[in-house]
Amino acid sequence: MRKPRNKNKKTAIVLFSAAAGMVGLAFAAVPLYQLFCQVTGFGGTPKIFAAAPTASMATPAREITVRFDANVNAGLPWRFQPERRTIRVRAGTPTEINYRAGNLSDQTTTGNATYNVTPFKAGEYFSKIECFCFTEQRLKAGEEAVMGVQFFVDPAIFTDPNTQDVNEITLSYTFFRAPNRNEDSDKKVVSRR
Amino acid sequence: MLRILKLIVLVPVLAALSLMLGTGDVFAAGRAEPWQMWFQPAATPVMERILEFHNLLLIIEVSIVVFVLAIMCYIIFRFNAKSNPVPSKTTHNTLLEVIWTGVPLFILIIIAIPSLKLLYYADKVQDAEMTLKVTGNQWYWNYSYPDHGGFAFDSIIVPNAELKKGQPRLLTVDNPVVLPARTNIRLLLTSADVIHNWAVPAFGVKLDTVGGRINETWVNINKEGDYYGMCSELCGVNHAFMPIHVKAVSKADFAIWVKKAKKDFADVEVPAAAKLAQADAPAVAR
Amino acid sequence: MANETTVAEAAPAKAHGNGHENGHGHHPTGWRRWLFSTNHKDIGTMYIVLSLVAALVGGAMSFLIRLELAEPGIQYNLFWLDNEAAYLQFYNVLVTGHGFIMVFFVVMPAMIGGFGNWFVPLLIGAPDMAFPRMNNISFWLLAASLVLLLIAAFTQGGPGTGWTVYPPLSNAEFHPGAAVDLGILSLHLAGASSVLGAVNFITTIFNMRAPGLVIHRMPLFVWAILVTAFLLLLAIPVLAGALTMLLTDRNFGTAFFDAARGGDPVLWQQLFWFFGHPEVYIIIIPAFGIISQVISTFSKKPIFGYLGMAYAMVFIGFVGFIVWAHHLYTSGLDVDTRAYFVSATLIIAVPTGIKIFSWLATMWGGSIDFRTPMLFACGFIFLFVMGGVTGVALANAGMDIAFHDTYFVVAHFHYVMAIAAVFAMFAGFYYWIGKMSGRQYPRVLARVHFWMFFIGVNVVFFPQHFLGMAGMPRRIPDYPDAYAGWNYVSSVGSYLTTASTLLFFYIIWRTLRSGEKVAANQWGEGATTLEWTVDSPAPFHTHEDLPDMREKQPAE
Repeated sequence: MRKPRNKNKKTAIVLFSAAAGMVGLAFAAVPLYQLFCQVTGFGGTPKIFAAAPTASMATPAREITVRFDANVNAGLPWRFQPERRTIRVRAGTPTEINYRAGNLSDQTTTGNATYNVTPFKAGEYFSKIECFCFTEQRLKAGEEAVMGVQFFVDPAIFTDPNTQDVNEITLSYTFFRAPNRNEDSDKKVVSRR
Repeated sequence: MLRILKLIVLVPVLAALSLMLGTGDVFAAGRAEPWQMWFQPAATPVMERILEFHNLLLIIEVSIVVFVLAIMCYIIFRFNAKSNPVPSKTTHNTLLEVIWTGVPLFILIIIAIPSLKLLYYADKVQDAEMTLKVTGNQWYWNYSYPDHGGFAFDSIIVPNAELKKGQPRLLTVDNPVVLPARTNIRLLLTSADVIHNWAVPAFGVKLDTVGGRINETWVNINKEGDYYGMCSELCGVNHAFMPIHVKAVSKADFAIWVKKAKKDFADVEVPAAAKLAQADAPAVAR
Repeated sequence: MANETTVAEAAPAKAHGNGHENGHGHHPTGWRRWLFSTNHKDIGTMYIVLSLVAALVGGAMSFLIRLELAEPGIQYNLFWLDNEAAYLQFYNVLVTGHGFIMVFFVVMPAMIGGFGNWFVPLLIGAPDMAFPRMNNISFWLLAASLVLLLIAAFTQGGPGTGWTVYPPLSNAEFHPGAAVDLGILSLHLAGASSVLGAVNFITTIFNMRAPGLVIHRMPLFVWAILVTAFLLLLAIPVLAGALTMLLTDRNFGTAFFDAARGGDPVLWQQLFWFFGHPEVYIIIIPAFGIISQVISTFSKKPIFGYLGMAYAMVFIGFVGFIVWAHHLYTSGLDVDTRAYFVSATLIIAVPTGIKIFSWLATMWGGSIDFRTPMLFACGFIFLFVMGGVTGVALANAGMDIAFHDTYFVVAHFHYVMAIAAVFAMFAGFYYWIGKMSGRQYPRVLARVHFWMFFIGVNVVFFPQHFLGMAGMPRRIPDYPDAYAGWNYVSSVGSYLTTASTLLFFYIIWRTLRSGEKVAANQWGEGATTLEWTVDSPAPFHTHEDLPDMREKQPAE
């Protein structure tokens, strides 16, 4: 080897650092992706607001339809439905609606809900103030529960040229079985295959 | 020489092409025919536009392949070691290099404009008159009609042994999904387990169903008939055996069907977990 | 391949291109020579042998897939499995294994590990790689990885997830058992091997070129390996990260991709394809390099537009990192996102166009010898253009609705990447086997091999365009009867392809056993690169005194 070995070592160190950096970037992508979705509404991620919209947001009566959709993952023995399928709401006005859930098994089970809205481009204009999906929900055997969600549609949806065609927004929830939290014998219920 | 080659190659290709394009509407059924070499006929405005766009693409594709082939054939005849014993030493031609960078760029722009138009058209939300909810399951589809009282049913493949005469193998299901023709229909898609993909070639619809989130698209079927599709995302051992059968009927017939379906499927409103027994059933394809 | 290298050792040392005796005689022999090898040529040879072994396995898998698809219905009586569900899982494992093996254990080892190791040091005038012992580790990691993958295939049903390993299907819930875990570990090892190899190549190419061989005079194969090494270095770690997340999701209760616990399965698709798209360029860019060397040699002309060719590869490599989501057009992506990826993807047609036209221009005005490597190079151009134009169609998200996950995609990527890469491997093999073994391949048989293979693969894959347009999904073991016709044709093509592959193995055997001895420069005036200045077979040590390139003409 004619070239000084030091030079090779230096090059190798730089290259290995680049590779390690890329591994780091892959892991960093997880929180970044979530943040990106929340900020831009990418993939129909609704926004979460701690407080109701300010008065300035309320605009003259432009209405939009919101449709409610409910799903239960195959692993959770629940029934889950919205109390109503659609509602007309005024943009900028907080609205509350309810879902109903019932545990069909003879054990206490815990579920948590994921959610998104379609069309995806409406995600950034759909804000939730209060939602049952922010926490885990536990239902005893045979228990029924009413679960509320409070939301509003940002009036900016009417001014964005991209969302001019949106007349109806679908809000969808899917209940999954939450990871085991000292429930009484949930092994029986998880009967997949 | 070049012109002759062009004639030899281009003419039959274009002839074959026009033949293929022309035979498009011979197949009426919403599924493939034996030896089919072309798309299934379009049954929705989106698919019509896809086919139209593809005609443009095909002309460009064939011209590029024929052009490169023609040059290669010419090179093979003209510049083999026998015909041309002394190689030239040319390694640069700036004009030529600018042209073969610029012309492809120009062709790409010709493609990109209609491409993006099509993309935005297919995505544009229409004012839907009704909604169909599709849920993928290992290995069957569940359909529900939230705007018609929310009745739901499973659509499961019919095993080969139980097929009636005329029913296509691997495409026939026990309960086809019935939709009105000439109606804007919103499709909401999700999955109860792994990722599936609800695809009907004649509709120009193909969208993943992902558990925990909903995807949305739309169709407007322009003609009554039977349309078939298959799951288009690998979803486990019976991936090939969860067909899609859409029966498009007139609005009046649809109303009649809805009345009947409400009764038939009144007791089917069972949560997913209770249906696990069905998923446990062995493969049904044969 | 052990045989002919022994022949090489036994051959009396002759005067070499640079007029020096090589230091031979004190390198290890027997199994130590191979197990502990730090010699770039020996390691390259081992890579090529590994690739050939893996090609037999991966090729057998594709043959089984085509057997299954030859007729409608489940052909499970072909196999020892009597349970249908087990057979269907086995079919999915075949599809998965075929993909993994061909990508990670056939194409990459042959092109990068094999030809790269053998010829990068020879072409740049370096005595060996920068880190010879690391080179050894790279190879044995890959060998271990292949063994792990084969074990995974026969563990508890095997991984039937497709090579894309999308969760939730790859989650513990739907693939319980160790198969997927073993597969992930296997890929981790293969990835580590690739990253080590990439560091080694980049360091070698940056630091160890002969005096006067400035970067803009490097042969294009070296350029190709350099670009590929950078792609490996930046893409593989992302796969490693994603695989680690999947592994911990499966075994340690994390929830990166599990929607039930706040993860997102689509994030996997994003990460996987952030690696996966550069990966297809990792496969095809070394092929570009080989084809450039071969075309220039047999046209007896320097490459046309050398700088354009080199920077086209750099550009393709760069753009490869910003187009990944065109694999996700039907996953449910925002329309503006898709519009961006359409535009970015279409751009790739420009540098690839530059490459095609520059190859044609290199041939133009040449005095072309259509020897077997050149035939494969011409075949490569045809296949690459065929697959390229369907790629332009697939780049359009609107159009992709019709094509996604159909056999059209299968036809496309086999043309543009898989078969094209194999053509480049054959071109490289016939081009360099004289240098590697010191023996000439049987000329007529090699031509027969080319024509059988060329016709075979076209009969396999061309009808798959029709199947895809007619709507046949990929990764299915049985199909509606309407698709029977073209599937049958496709399967017949695979019989021919398989026969031609067996012929290729016979050709290797014949070459090594009874091929004529060849001279240092067997290709004559067109072969101007440094590997043709050393003896054939290349001695154990080469370029111990660095060749002086300051006097030579620039490469263009």
